Amino acid sequence: MPAIRTDGLTKRYDGGLLGTDVTAVNDLDLVVRDGEVYGFLGPNGAGKSTTIDMLLDYGRPTSGTAELLGHDVQTESERISDRVGVLPEGYSLYDRLSGRRNLELAAEWQGVDVDYTTLLERVGLATDAAARPVGDYSKGMTQRLALAMALVGDPDLLILDEPSSGLDPNGIRRLREIVRAEAERGTTVFFSSHVLGQVEAVCDRVGILDGGELVAVDTVDGLREAAGASSVLELTLKEPQQPAVADDPAVSDVEVRGNQLRVTCTDSRAKARVVADLVDRGHELIDVDSESASLSDIFAVYTGEADVDAPTGGGKDGNDGATDDNEPAEGVIA
Amino acid sequence: MTLTQVAQKDFEDAVRSRMVWGVISVFVAFIGFVLLVAIGTSDSADASADLALGMIALFSQLFVPMVAVIVGYMSIVGERRSGSLRVLLSYPHSRRDVVFGKLVGRAGVITLALGVGSGLSMLIAGLVIELPEIGSVIGVLTSITLFGVGFTGLAVGISAGVRTRAKAMAVAIGALLGFLLVWDAAAAGVYLVATGSLPGLEAEAWYFLLKRLSPVNAYRAVAQGFVDGRLQSFFQLGIEDVPADTTQDQLALSNRVDGELPFYLSNWFAALTLTVWAVVPSVVGYVRFERSDL
Repeated sequence: MPAIRTDGLTKRYDGGLLGTDVTAVNDLDLVVRDGEVYGFLGPNGAGKSTTIDMLLDYGRPTSGTAELLGHDVQTESERISDRVGVLPEGYSLYDRLSGRRNLELAAEWQGVDVDYTTLLERVGLATDAAARPVGDYSKGMTQRLALAMALVGDPDLLILDEPSSGLDPNGIRRLREIVRAEAERGTTVFFSSHVLGQVEAVCDRVGILDGGELVAVDTVDGLREAAGASSVLELTLKEPQQPAVADDPAVSDVEVRGNQLRVTCTDSRAKARVVADLVDRGHELIDVDSESASLSDIFAVYTGEADVDAPTGGGKDGNDGATDDNEPAEGVIA
Repeated sequence: MTLTQVAQKDFEDAVRSRMVWGVISVFVAFIGFVLLVAIGTSDSADASADLALGMIALFSQLFVPMVAVIVGYMSIVGERRSGSLRVLLSYPHSRRDVVFGKLVGRAGVITLALGVGSGLSMLIAGLVIELPEIGSVIGVLTSITLFGVGFTGLAVGISAGVRTRAKAMAVAIGALLGFLLVWDAAAAGVYLVATGSLPGLEAEAWYFLLKRLSPVNAYRAVAQGFVDGRLQSFFQLGIEDVPADTTQDQLALSNRVDGELPFYLSNWFAALTLTVWAVVPSVVGYVRFERSDL
């Protein structure tokens, strides 16, 4: 039994008398297997949140059905909610109550006992911070508390909508650790994001949503390959020469301009090999720069709408996606 | 029972609203001020305890619905807009639990707020004059509370039925002004259309029922049972065709309806009307809420 299954899920917003109807989600057939970490990737406005709203029965589909853990989300919601942990998008907590009290309410509602100290520690929220009203929290602290609230009651399915927004690199690392630990316990994790690096780092499979439609479902390795297909390494050598790098099977193209070397790889992991190889051969490198595929490049690969050998170029590689949403980061479509 | 959980949480959260306690403070201060002025100008000191109680009952017509609107109008739409409803509903609460849990929670808040507010006002009356008779005190307190709960139910229903804060506020304030200013005039208008003349000192019994379907008038009817003298409407519109020299005694309902008062003009029927106001708008609001997207 899949943890999440949608069948022809569609959401259309009526444009009124003069406006045009907007289809936010179109005939979506989504299957998330039990126990997997599923990345739900798409640019802002792709319909991710609308889909999640329908999964949680916050919004009603125009047509189609959705099931969580084998139960219809509309007719059997009471059999679902105590087994599902949710970090919704656009949420807020009870500002007038303390962080600890918010967490206690979550435990009361789930009908479970919670080891608050351990849970707070897990999400990286200090005990004295938990005693303060949530209204005084920063976005990152609120996000940590909300994540803790989603974890209350050891859910079988975690639905995290843009969980890394507002988190600093430290928080993002913790989030990944938590997702991995939950997956280890057998929890299914549904992780939505518009940042490629976030999804790539933790997910087993990835579904790419664009314009309300699922354009691709692939493993992360498959996604890496697609990303690698447009991965470019720019090297500056001390001496202008023609080094032999093209013998690596993952190198698809080498361009030489004076002492500048532009190496296109089909697999992003080849970039490190190329650099190591050059150093081994005694070449002295003055500078190493790398462009990784942006989310739009990935879309282009899957939808076949662009030349994959000519990346438009995202941000710089090497930060492993541990950047805040607020700054232009790798693979972000603004 | 998740309805009680929602109610508990909501009470805990809403009871910390500064707005509610601000208005209650204004109410208490206002009553205190009015009582002091009343003592200063009154020549018959022996009637002043009852006067104080009547004063509290009179000004409650205005203050209670105001407090109730403040307590209730944001209860659901506020959480809907802020997004905390998305958290609340991700736990095992249905939308029905949310609406009726909120209703119970906010009814608790208004009961506490009005209990404290009118309790303090009566204490002030007791300190500056003398404590009114305890039976009357309890009666007026109960009437005020029932009125508050009824109007809170209306506000919670509005809050469940609309999508934006602005709309909730507009509808709630519209209802407040409608019941305070328009209802009686509308009832007289209906009477004029139905009978061809404005209601006089004596009028058909159904006209008085129509008036009493407003929560404000229903409250007045219930509270009337516990105060000396006639509890007047806060805003006297003077639409009824009643001679100017009519005494307050002549305006008592038993003198205006021919024969025995029908059951629907009894005090308990007015109390029932307030209960209906507490529940029915919330049910309507719930039905709208249940059908819509967050």
